[in-house]
Amino acid sequence: MTDFLQLTLAGLSQGSVYALLAVGLIAVYTVRHVINIAQGDYAMLAGLGAIWMTAAGMPLMAAILIAILSVALVSVAVDRLILARVKNLTTLVSIILTLGVSTLLQSIMLLLWGPEAEGLPAFPGQNFSIGGVSIRSQDLWMLGALVVVGGAILLFYEKTRWGKALRACAEQPDAARIVGISPVMAAVIAFAIAGVAGAVAGVVSSPVALSIWSGGLLLGLKGFVAAVLGGLSSFRAAIVGALLLGMLEAYVSAYIASGLRDAVAFFILILVLIIRPSGLLIRSVPVRV
Amino acid sequence: MKQSRLRYLAPLALLTAVALAGCSSDNLGGGGGGDDSGEEETGPITIGAVLDITGVGANLGVPEQKTLTMLADQLNADGGIDGREVELIIEDNQSTEDGAAKATTQLIESDNVHLIIGASRTGPSIAMRPIVEAAQIPMISVAANAAIVEGSDWVFKTAQNDTVVLERILDDAEEKGYTTIDLVRDATGFGEGVAEIITELGAERGITLGTVEAFEPSATDFTPQMTNIRASGSDAVIIWGITPSAGLAQKAFVDLGVGKPVYQSHGVANQAFFDAAGDAATGAIAPMGRLLVVDQLPEDDPQLEVIEEFKTAYEEETGEAPSSFAGHAYDAWMVAITAITEVGTDPEELRDQIEKTTDLVGISGIFTMTPENHSGLDASALILAEAKDGRWNLYKE
Repeated sequence: MTDFLQLTLAGLSQGSVYALLAVGLIAVYTVRHVINIAQGDYAMLAGLGAIWMTAAGMPLMAAILIAILSVALVSVAVDRLILARVKNLTTLVSIILTLGVSTLLQSIMLLLWGPEAEGLPAFPGQNFSIGGVSIRSQDLWMLGALVVVGGAILLFYEKTRWGKALRACAEQPDAARIVGISPVMAAVIAFAIAGVAGAVAGVVSSPVALSIWSGGLLLGLKGFVAAVLGGLSSFRAAIVGALLLGMLEAYVSAYIASGLRDAVAFFILILVLIIRPSGLLIRSVPVRV
Repeated sequence: MKQSRLRYLAPLALLTAVALAGCSSDNLGGGGGGDDSGEEETGPITIGAVLDITGVGANLGVPEQKTLTMLADQLNADGGIDGREVELIIEDNQSTEDGAAKATTQLIESDNVHLIIGASRTGPSIAMRPIVEAAQIPMISVAANAAIVEGSDWVFKTAQNDTVVLERILDDAEEKGYTTIDLVRDATGFGEGVAEIITELGAERGITLGTVEAFEPSATDFTPQMTNIRASGSDAVIIWGITPSAGLAQKAFVDLGVGKPVYQSHGVANQAFFDAAGDAATGAIAPMGRLLVVDQLPEDDPQLEVIEEFKTAYEEETGEAPSSFAGHAYDAWMVAITAITEVGTDPEELRDQIEKTTDLVGISGIFTMTPENHSGLDASALILAEAKDGRWNLYKE
């Protein structure tokens, strides 16, 4: 039982990273109908950038804050300089374009910081143990980041006027413009949010999972699987899906074979797309926007 | 799955361009690239290197790349070999088997290399083996697993064999009275066969193999493996992998409070181990060459002078301390250059000369190769080191 709880904890903390990436993906998809393959690269970009700044002598928290803000700017730039230039941007075109963006970001990271994996110093905190289950303080940082950042984004989209207005842009861009919601502003906000979510995922996981230029694609795809579990629209379902994915990965590697770990996500993806394309949503909830 | 397909396009385009350029220069050279040894013996000496520079082997390939580049520059500054310039062509295999095979084929067919160094890890090295054997070009791997060279006429290697490394570990375990040892191993080539060797060598020492867990070198979460190890009743654990993964495994081992003695392999003989494991590194014991503990060696150590000279040169060139992997590359280069200086670049003569390598003082040990022994190092090439104060320290000669 202790072992099972240990694995569950590991799965939850890893899952919270997937959840943040899924939140970032949905934040953009609901506003622009763009699937951002570079979402995972935001995590690596923030991690490596923060490592670079701490190595240059900057305090940890300052480096992390600057890294998160910078990645938010990069995310907005990706939209304004690349995606927004395309007429009739379809979801398929967005996948191809952001795959190119992902390759570009990876090449830049490789050139700037080299091919070797590096990690941020551990965040403040002490590891401890409850009933034989060892809890790393970094696990709590990862879960905490999901609760705070993921929760804030969820509330913003679901409860605030601004958040609802963003969604209106995706459903009825012309109507939204008529009632005074600027699609440009909506896109800027959505991409900034996606940048922040990805960057936070990257910095909180860096001390335990390290950051490497090439690590973003797989991470982003796992976030995408979680987003698909949320039907690409529900933050709540995607977060639950991400946590389940993390736990399932831990169980599979402990009880079946560690080599199957990365296959779990894609097995789920295939199953969901065949059996239940709407994801974990029990019923679709119409939102009045 | 992990690499985007698009990323292959750029190197592929480059490959095609280089291949085309190679063809045209062959044509212009009027048969200069042929196998006519009389003519070849006068041109530049071409050495190819296939290294794991990006991907999971980066901690190995990067210092190897720096070492080879530095040594080639030094050699050419000193006038090359018998007035012949040495041209070094380094290819990145992206830590993949197919990347290694592609790069090897290209080096042989387009660049007409006389000898190949690489790869950094076992898997890519084994993928290169049939290609150099078919082309009959000598190859010196800088990876560890004995399977790379076993029964091969053309492949050599400079890293210590896994068998002698495990002998050192099991000898120490026997002295300490451990009877059951668990293994957490790299799931790729480096970890292949390790469990079988432990079972075999352990039997002579009254040690049995307990739980065996595997991990991908790209893995970052080791909770599942270490949870299983924690539940086992063993006396000690061997973590067998390269950095950063083996360092993260060490960290998970300590974070989960497994609380048993840990042995690591010579795959963690670098600073990257401490970067990944942090304070959790303390107490790990690993067999390795003498490079990382050179300041703690006795005055009369026969390798002392060679190691100190290399360390100083490497630090001046790169601004960082060399790892054992830099040492493996140094050794491969020295074995190659010593043989080429002696007999030139005819492949068969070169191969025969490498097999005659005797008492060559290198960084990883003192090499003596024979037609049967293409690895050249025995257990005396290894010391046991203990991780303490953020570095490896001499634990037992």
